[in-house]
Amino acid sequence: MKRLDRKLAVAFLSAGTLAYEILLVRIFAIEHFHHFAYMAISVAMLGFGTSGTILALTGRLESTTVERWFGWSTHATVISLVASPTLVHLVALDATQLVWDSSQWIRLAAIYLLLALPFGVGAMAILLGLTIEREHPGRMYGANFIGAGLGAALAVGMLAYLFPQRVLSVPAVLAAIGAVAATPKSAPRHLASISAWILVALSVFVLITPLWRIEVSPYKGLPQVAAFPGARRVHERTSPVGWLVATEADAFHFAPGLSLGFQGELPKQTAVFVDGDLVGATINQPADSSAAGLLDWLPSALPYALGAPSHVLVVAAGGGSEVHSALAHGARAVTAIELHPDLVDLASSAFAGHPEQRKVHWVVADARSFVARTSEKYDLIVLPPAGGLGTSAAGVHSLNEDFLHTVDAYSSYLEHLTPQGILAITRWLTLPPRESVRVILTVAEALRGSASAVVDSQLVVARSWGTTTVLARPAGFDEAEVARLRDWTATRLFDLDWYPSMSAPNSTFHLLEDAPLFRAAAAATHGADSLADFTSAYPFNVSPVGDSRPYPHHFLRIGSLPRLLTSDRGGWLPYAEWGPIALVATLLQSAVLAGLLMLLPAVATGAKRLGTDWWPTVGYFTAIGVAYLAAEIAAIQQIGLLLGHPIYGVAVVLASFLVCSGIGSIRSDRLNPSSIQLTAALLAAILVILGAALLSVVHFLQATSLTIRAASAAVLLAPLAYLMGRLFPLGLRLFAHTDSKRIAWAWAANGFASVVAAPLAALIALETGSRALFFLGAAAYSVAMVLSCKAPTEPDVVS
Amino acid sequence: MRGILGPVIRASALFAWSASLYGQTPEQARFERERVAMVDLIELRGVSDSATLAALRSVPRHEFVPPQNRRRAYGDFPIPIGHGQTISQPYIVAFMTEILQPKPGMKVLEVGTGSGYQAAVLAEIGCAVHTVEIFQVLADSARERLDRLGFTVQSRHGDGHHGWPESAPFDAIIVTAAAGYIPPELVRQLKPDGSMVIPVGSVYGIQNLILVNKSLDNTISTRNLMPVRFVPMLSGIR
Repeated sequence: MKRLDRKLAVAFLSAGTLAYEILLVRIFAIEHFHHFAYMAISVAMLGFGTSGTILALTGRLESTTVERWFGWSTHATVISLVASPTLVHLVALDATQLVWDSSQWIRLAAIYLLLALPFGVGAMAILLGLTIEREHPGRMYGANFIGAGLGAALAVGMLAYLFPQRVLSVPAVLAAIGAVAATPKSAPRHLASISAWILVALSVFVLITPLWRIEVSPYKGLPQVAAFPGARRVHERTSPVGWLVATEADAFHFAPGLSLGFQGELPKQTAVFVDGDLVGATINQPADSSAAGLLDWLPSALPYALGAPSHVLVVAAGGGSEVHSALAHGARAVTAIELHPDLVDLASSAFAGHPEQRKVHWVVADARSFVARTSEKYDLIVLPPAGGLGTSAAGVHSLNEDFLHTVDAYSSYLEHLTPQGILAITRWLTLPPRESVRVILTVAEALRGSASAVVDSQLVVARSWGTTTVLARPAGFDEAEVARLRDWTATRLFDLDWYPSMSAPNSTFHLLEDAPLFRAAAAATHGADSLADFTSAYPFNVSPVGDSRPYPHHFLRIGSLPRLLTSDRGGWLPYAEWGPIALVATLLQSAVLAGLLMLLPAVATGAKRLGTDWWPTVGYFTAIGVAYLAAEIAAIQQIGLLLGHPIYGVAVVLASFLVCSGIGSIRSDRLNPSSIQLTAALLAAILVILGAALLSVVHFLQATSLTIRAASAAVLLAPLAYLMGRLFPLGLRLFAHTDSKRIAWAWAANGFASVVAAPLAALIALETGSRALFFLGAAAYSVAMVLSCKAPTEPDVVS
Repeated sequence: MRGILGPVIRASALFAWSASLYGQTPEQARFERERVAMVDLIELRGVSDSATLAALRSVPRHEFVPPQNRRRAYGDFPIPIGHGQTISQPYIVAFMTEILQPKPGMKVLEVGTGSGYQAAVLAEIGCAVHTVEIFQVLADSARERLDRLGFTVQSRHGDGHHGWPESAPFDAIIVTAAAGYIPPELVRQLKPDGSMVIPVGSVYGIQNLILVNKSLDNTISTRNLMPVRFVPMLSGIR
């Protein structure tokens, strides 16, 4: 077999396995919930490291055996990429019952094993390829990187055209091409060749006729509304941003926090779901008077009590309810920003019969970059509540990065208000209050940073039975306006929790113990020290967040988890935030399983097989694994802000990192292994600079077009990724020389570090922000630099 | 083998015989014990209304859960019943029932029949229960179950957000499926001095319990309630 064929085979296998990983995250997010997807994928990745352990523990292999194993492992990868999703979909798992039903754990373990299979087999093929080409590991590792990068880009790209269940067949097709490339050309009628072409046929068949179908969890909104009498699906579209479905049902209504005094008829609405979760609704007959009647009795209509605004900006417009509301309340022009293009198509077409549709300007964009780019000023900027109260309360979004509700975001909205303009934010009210409290504190912080007036006079907080609406106006509210707001809220049975000069809590309609919103507003308006005292005493973490830690839906103090989980069964449920709980569980399970499958065998047999200097080898490859993941996750977060959506951030960062790392890896074969120290030092320095300055650069670039932002992201990351790609192959040459056992242990250690570092880095980002991750990466590269001095000067192998 | 099994078989037979003296199979006796333990735990957690506790001691919860989950029927957690619905955690059922202060003869509307367990508890207390379920399969199975077990409950399939106008007004309303809004028609169908309880959240656990009160002069107010003791939990999670 030609060397190029092997590299081609490895590139296709890497493309297949990485595409499979990305698609699994999408499919698990649709079928279950995002955080469950992370848990399952983390364990699946254990397959990568385990393959190293297996090979390291195997006796010495002849080169012909390695060649043969390489070929057959490519075939096994194709089979597992077909079998894994087929069998996973046969396991009936109810993740919500894991706490109480022990049989669910057996099903979960079965899913983990099935998911780990393709990654384990695929990684074995790549590792065998590296072993065959151990004289030039950089080229083979580079093929692995470049293949993975292209696989990531292909998976995200294909989601724009095909439904996820069909795209899930693509990894098998890619791996089958790899299997054909791995077939010895000297014997075309060889069994391996026939087998490889049969696998191509099988994977193409599965692409045409998928063996699985997506089954959304019955606890999500979509299947529930779909089961309503007379429900019918009226719209369905897929894109990398999400799977959009619109369903009509007479029994469905969406009216966040509707006044209990409302006496009118509810208009017919269409439910809108993304990935099976309710994100909003469109109004079927926009010109119907019942629509206007309903919208005037929602808490989000509060700012209109002060008069009709001329120009309204609706951020994250979703199904368009707030756009309707602005028109119904006399707005002369409405700009509606929505990131999801299919949602804009759906919402704008719902306006087709509206007599004032010409007043609406729909923009497919991320609100932060739009606001940074526009010079327009608005009389009213509206941020409506998203989705339903159930998911908000359960904390399923706590791990989601959200740059629309940070101090930086609110500051930028305030800067785009006319002199008398108002910023209006409505959020669901969870109990104990968390999100509402943070919005009040964040708005106050933004007001304090952007205006000289007293915050006290600039803030109004109103509350229904289920939502909180916060108004912020840099020019302040006068007495007459406060009186109008009081009348308006009293008519609709809403409470005012804060208005200028309010001195004591006064809930009339909706009683809350301890008046937390009044206390929050009082503390926030009295100054930064008062705000800090309030947040430190509050039982949840409600401090305002900035762009460097964009988790405005995360409130649980991680340190309180052990006490929470050891309380009475069920007693902790109302306080549970499933995102962080799943993340901590992922970290623990990854550490335990990785320890059992990789670290323990390495330590137990390392001294015997590698000699006494095994630990610098394991330490070096662990350090560069941690550093790579930390830098990658930090970059994904900050580039996500630059590009306006996490999925774009993931696609650009993964593709840039992997392809540039691949080039760096290939070029490393020409370098002396001693260049590791300079490379590691350069990387540590770059990461420190990125940690200190990347966010400012992102803010600076936000006003440019998406093309320039994407190109800038690639340019910013390319040198970093290029250098990062060098360290693994250079390390192999420095530490392992050409010894297959050392190569396998290096692979295992690197795999272990990746598996554990992924949830660890996510947890660090959640608690301290992405800057800390860049610094962690720099520290890990410094450790690698030091350990590289401890590398054996010549092979010292007992194998 | 026969030597080992002999005493086991004899002991089982003896146990079955002694249980049958009380007209119960061993399984029924076990359910009885578990039901008593369940109510003891609920009482320990602060529910004190004697009518509510007596009803929970009497209603066979295991009849309301799917066969594969019967052995777990008396655990203090929700159990899936299909269509993304659950039979609520027993403590939540007890808490919501107590909040409504049910008395014999009270007319109660339940929106979201589910398994029928909540309706059965209210009927056991002596309330005139009307219950509406939007999922046809659940409505049918709950009706069959309630009839079989001898509970007098008016039930029907439909969109419960319209309430039950023919039988309105009601002394109390329980809405076990809220979708981001409190249906105005339900508020209208509530009697003066009546109350409505709405659990808001997801299957992962009830986060908000909202109690809607209509005063004698028809003034509406709400209170946000917690299903667990609020202050001690807060001090525990700092």
